[in-house]
Amino acid sequence: MTRKARPRRGTRRDRIAMQALAVLLALLALSPFLWLLLMSFKTNAEIFRFPPRLLFDATLANYAALWTSEFRNSFANSLIVGVVSTTLSLVIGVPAAYALSRWTTRASGTITLWILASRMAPPIAFTIPYFLVYRHLELLDTLTGLIIIYLTFNLSLVIWMMRPFYDQLPRSLEEAAWIDGATMWQGFRRIILPLSGPGLAATAILCFLFAWNDFFFALILTRTEAMTAPVAVVNFMNYEGWEWGRIAAGGTMIMLPVLVFSFVVRRYLVHGLTGGALKG
Amino acid sequence: MKSSAAGGFRRSQHRFFALCVAPSLAVLALITLLPSLYLLATSFTPLNLTRPETQWDFSQPFVSYGQLVSDSRLHNSVWVQIKLSFWTVVLQLLIGLGLALLLNMRTRLLDALRTVFLIPMVLPPIVVAIIWKVIYTPDISPMHGIFRALGWNVPALITDPDWALTSIIIADTWEWFPFTMLMVLAGLQMMPQELLDAAKVDGATPWQLTRYITLPFIKGVLLVAGLFRLIDSIKAFPLIFILTDGGPGNLTEVTNYYSYLQAFNFSYLGFSSAITIALLAATIVLSWVIVRMVGWGAAVD
Amino acid sequence: MRSLNRRTILGGAVGALAAPAVQAQGGKPFAGTTINASCFQTTYFEYLKSYFPQFEEKTGIKVNFTMQAFPVYNQRTDLELSTKGSALDVINVTFIYSGRWIGAGWITNLDPFTKDSKRTPADWDPEDFAGGPQSAMKNAKGETFGFTWEAGAMILGAARADLIDRAGLGLPKTFDELIKVCDAVHNKENVAAFTADRLHHWNWIPYLMGAGGNVFKAPPENLTPTLQTPQAASSAAWYASLLTKYGPDGILSYSDDQAMRSQMSGRANIRTQAITWMVPLAKHAESTVQKTVRYGLMPAGPSGNFPGSNSHGLGIPAGSKKKEAAWEFIKWALSKETIAMVVKNHGYPSVCRMSIIKSPEFKQVLTLNGQDVAALFLEVLQLGGKTGYMKYRTVPVYPQVGDKINKAIERIATRQQAAPEAMKQAQAEAIQDLQKAGIKIDT
Repeated sequence: MTRKARPRRGTRRDRIAMQALAVLLALLALSPFLWLLLMSFKTNAEIFRFPPRLLFDATLANYAALWTSEFRNSFANSLIVGVVSTTLSLVIGVPAAYALSRWTTRASGTITLWILASRMAPPIAFTIPYFLVYRHLELLDTLTGLIIIYLTFNLSLVIWMMRPFYDQLPRSLEEAAWIDGATMWQGFRRIILPLSGPGLAATAILCFLFAWNDFFFALILTRTEAMTAPVAVVNFMNYEGWEWGRIAAGGTMIMLPVLVFSFVVRRYLVHGLTGGALKG
Repeated sequence: MKSSAAGGFRRSQHRFFALCVAPSLAVLALITLLPSLYLLATSFTPLNLTRPETQWDFSQPFVSYGQLVSDSRLHNSVWVQIKLSFWTVVLQLLIGLGLALLLNMRTRLLDALRTVFLIPMVLPPIVVAIIWKVIYTPDISPMHGIFRALGWNVPALITDPDWALTSIIIADTWEWFPFTMLMVLAGLQMMPQELLDAAKVDGATPWQLTRYITLPFIKGVLLVAGLFRLIDSIKAFPLIFILTDGGPGNLTEVTNYYSYLQAFNFSYLGFSSAITIALLAATIVLSWVIVRMVGWGAAVD
Repeated sequence: MRSLNRRTILGGAVGALAAPAVQAQGGKPFAGTTINASCFQTTYFEYLKSYFPQFEEKTGIKVNFTMQAFPVYNQRTDLELSTKGSALDVINVTFIYSGRWIGAGWITNLDPFTKDSKRTPADWDPEDFAGGPQSAMKNAKGETFGFTWEAGAMILGAARADLIDRAGLGLPKTFDELIKVCDAVHNKENVAAFTADRLHHWNWIPYLMGAGGNVFKAPPENLTPTLQTPQAASSAAWYASLLTKYGPDGILSYSDDQAMRSQMSGRANIRTQAITWMVPLAKHAESTVQKTVRYGLMPAGPSGNFPGSNSHGLGIPAGSKKKEAAWEFIKWALSKETIAMVVKNHGYPSVCRMSIIKSPEFKQVLTLNGQDVAALFLEVLQLGGKTGYMKYRTVPVYPQVGDKINKAIERIATRQQAAPEAMKQAQAEAIQDLQKAGIKIDT
């Protein structure tokens, strides 16, 4: 065992300077995001005003206008598609992740490459065949159609995130159960699954976020009924009138759940994005 | 007797693992392998949806690939892609590394800041695109407002040929620097303290520590992070879709975007499939490099 | 003229009487049907939406109407039509896509509906739709695939005509005068002389034709592109410099709306664009140029005057499963009574029924700053219908070829390429694209 790096310690002055610099950089990095947030509470006249007033009469009109429009349906669509595709991916993927973690097989490398490649493939590579086939299966503009195509990245994500998680669970746990006469399935069901809680939660949230954030698949495969929130927001970019306030409000509503969830799983973000390329 | 019981257990173990893996592999085959083959097949046809008879026309299987060779707009898009990928990956690595080194202290403030810095990365890509559309639209942009107040005459960046690609690079770098930062931070936390202590005993300055101890240690992490970003940069879509639509001219038209236009704006699905096959191949090769580098797939344990 | 006016009024009266009559018969064969309709975002349907309850009450058909941004709408509808899907029942037949959609058999021939007196009463009068706009909705055989609700006649609007007056000049009537006026007024009182949106393959073509050029050799029969001609190159260079020399900052990314706002807010003066984008300068509550705006005919070039005229119509996708109900909606939305109502209540400028365009109400609504813009509108419509010079735009491949033109103009305006070079590239790309689409061209 190596000792993990202790935080560096400089002189007190250095530390204060560094922290001040970090705060400054954080403000700079976040300003574009904060600007959008502010814009969502402004009237059109206020949006075009420069220099902006720090204290302006905040309005909720943009949000109200959104909530009474079709945007609400698209929000619900995003929610449904996200939840269902997440659940399916977990149910199918978690046993596989467990097995791949415990099972030594020669195909393991190929499977890993396959999973990584499906995860990294440019969306258009799947969109073209799905689009062509969905025409005949009547799956265009349906939530089912979206759920299926979201499995392409979410199923890989589950296996990818959960496998390193199980790698870290000591084998002695289920081995003890086997010695006590438990079947493989019982060992998995009674010993492993209950210990998977944190990993499962983080994986589920990330799956949901990836489905929620998708723009390209929904742009091509939905029309009206199954349109998701990101596509709906683009629709506010109108032919006659850039309704900036509404665009900002829509954007804010889409990013809120994402922000909340992301903070919950921030520890697992690296895992989710790189599939445990970094162990530790 | 004992060994046969163990063999029996091993067999049932194998059966169980196979049962666990089978559904995933079956589903993956159905939803990723099969479509990829379909894509490959389509790339051998001149499929154009305004002419349905072209759907399974394999009479000239390589006509689309021939067009790949002669299409100067496609070649341009590859060049744009290379520039975009190179600069975004380099900038994200530099900024991510710099920030990680800065934030690698355990204070409550910096802990909180680390989380704050993650925001750009977790935002839905379409929201990121909208944010930058606002920044780049002179009428409502706070950035242009500041420039005007300073008396600088700055053109609208996304339509300026010298700035259009740069403005995409800036937005993309903003979106993804947290990723490299996060990976470097994770790498730094795995640094054995002994190394640092030993160097300090030898009287190394903080700069020397970074240059000769820290950087070599996280070289691998940087490489993997860079590779991930590289693959991802091939997929660039929402930023270009919202900000420049590939313009002005074709200055920001990357290959992925060009393929999208061909397939879904002009219905040339056969041609677009051929482009996409090339993109997919590049992705698989890069993924393979990652798998090799990280050492996944080596026998577990 | 007078008889037409009477017809409108009569039509209105008949319509008012007819509605209760239908109800009295209890004839609502489509009660309970829901249709999906879609169009790009436009004030016409924004206004019309508020009258949907009337339609629903009359027919029992519920209309689920969605509007999207112009490029998004076109792209998504094109995609939906290409699958022959049934997601949509009524669509907007967008001008530059009409040839493509009709040619590919993606939308429904409406003649069986109009010719059947049981489905369409005689007084609905399909012949009342102005010929120029309506021609885009027909195929070579003369079958009709859509009925127009919007005729975009291109005119010239000077948001700050007062500046031109003060320079001792008038509204430009020729290309040369346009440059002269721009030179004289550019940046006076911080107003850029010219503005335009980035749809160059629409805005530039009148200047190209005025300079003796064209997009194709002889559309729709011969689609050999002629983008490489000396006229095309010099006109492209001329237009690109018009944009960059006299346009406001950021002009090359302007959407329709942004260009309009540059005029409304008094940051830019002259624009040549469809009337729909010009009327708000005089009427929109946020316009700061209401008192100073003046309208004129598109300037003419040495080879003549070719103001763009486009049109958008309502049609029914080939894959729709509710075509009868869809037709009920089109019939209602584009009836004389409905259009007259939208014109009267909302001042909508660019309608297509001749009986309405020629009515005194329309003239009254379109008298802006004392100018008879209705007459101007009619003049352009007739010009466009007469010689058929707009045929270039409705050929099936125009979306692709237009894209090449946009890119070429952008490259010239941003000085990436000289005009002859850029147009040569556009020509080569267009030819390659046409070959991909399986179209024969001269070699």
